[in-house]
Amino acid sequence: MNLIVNPADELPLFRQVVRQMIEAIAGGRLKSGEQLPSHRDLSEQLVIAPLTVKRAYDELESLGYIETQRGRGTFVCAVLPAVNRKNQREEIARTARRLLSEAYLAGLRLPDVVKILEDADRQLREKK
Amino acid sequence: MMDPVLEFKSVSRSYGSNVVLNGIDIAIHPGEVAGLIGRNGAGKTTLLKIGMGMLYPHSGSVRTFGMSPTDEPVAVKKRIGYVAEDQVLPTGSSIADLIEFHRYLFPQWDGALERQLIERFALDARRKIKDLSKGQAREVALLCAVCHRPELLILDEPAGGLDPATRREFLETSIHLLNQEGTAILFSSHHMGDVERIGGRVILLDHGKVLLDRDLTTLREEICVAMIPRSASVPEAARMEQIPGCLRVRPVFDDWHVVMEGSPESVQRKVSMALGVDDVRCVPMPLEELFIELTGSER
Repeated sequence: MNLIVNPADELPLFRQVVRQMIEAIAGGRLKSGEQLPSHRDLSEQLVIAPLTVKRAYDELESLGYIETQRGRGTFVCAVLPAVNRKNQREEIARTARRLLSEAYLAGLRLPDVVKILEDADRQLREKK
Repeated sequence: MMDPVLEFKSVSRSYGSNVVLNGIDIAIHPGEVAGLIGRNGAGKTTLLKIGMGMLYPHSGSVRTFGMSPTDEPVAVKKRIGYVAEDQVLPTGSSIADLIEFHRYLFPQWDGALERQLIERFALDARRKIKDLSKGQAREVALLCAVCHRPELLILDEPAGGLDPATRREFLETSIHLLNQEGTAILFSSHHMGDVERIGGRVILLDHGKVLLDRDLTTLREEICVAMIPRSASVPEAARMEQIPGCLRVRPVFDDWHVVMEGSPESVQRKVSMALGVDDVRCVPMPLEELFIELTGSER
């Protein structure tokens, strides 16, 4: 699954696991129905406390990404939750603020940035 | 909740006129992993030794498995594993001799776990203690402390002086034991990353008192640091200390650093309102930075 955690990161360890698992599911590296490692196995792989893995799994379960089947283990849900649009908007707004501050520092103005975004949009469409 | 395996109740202890512990209340429950942190001289080793029954508290009480570790040392030590900060192993004996001695001391010694750890650490049991590296000697001390399957493991600075790779192996083994045996672990450490990796709970000792004791998984979302410029319009430290949830205020160059309970968003609102200052920046902190914010000196 290629998870990696880092205590020096801004997010708590369990949130790092949550975020990376959601990314793995969104990116297709973890597929619906696929079995996840047990708390113990993942805690030994990542060298973090089993309780931290449990917390991450609990969070993923409450978000609807994974489900525990008694006696069988934990699996990626067959039906995945719709993306949380509000959170995503906030995330994109943050990225936009970062982008704009960098652009202003580089001496660009808003119309220049809009132009760059339009070009990027065109490139994306052409690829499709 | 189950009875605690280790409980300190208003424990105090001094060395001469130097008060090292001043009213410590901590309870460790079965299967719990707690990291004990604090600056040098904060009282970590003294506290662990009191838990082991190697030192008396001058006031207050300590119960290990519900017993007094000084009144019933044998019954307590059977169920406890301990690695001291400066663990001295007999240099002339071989690893095998040392294991033999521990097996004799503890009737419930687990030979399978012993072999598993020898293999995991890649130890040659015929080697003499004096020929081992620092890391190997720590591994032997750990092996001797855990093979009687203790219910409580007390480790004083277990990774002190070890290189990062050896420390990681040591952590891997601790987690393996935790998974396999469900042992409660109380360990002191100066490696905040290690504490975050294996601790479920962090206890910060400062000037003989518990300054912080809480769940590690949510610590970073419950505490943050507010940075306020020390311009003329900003009030003195005493007023900031009165804001509810304030844990520490210290000047750092041109700013005040205020450690506060709460998420960055809520602290931002609270501090701005309380002080009438707009220029407040709130950030969550990894444990290492939080340790420094809480115990570091004024700059």
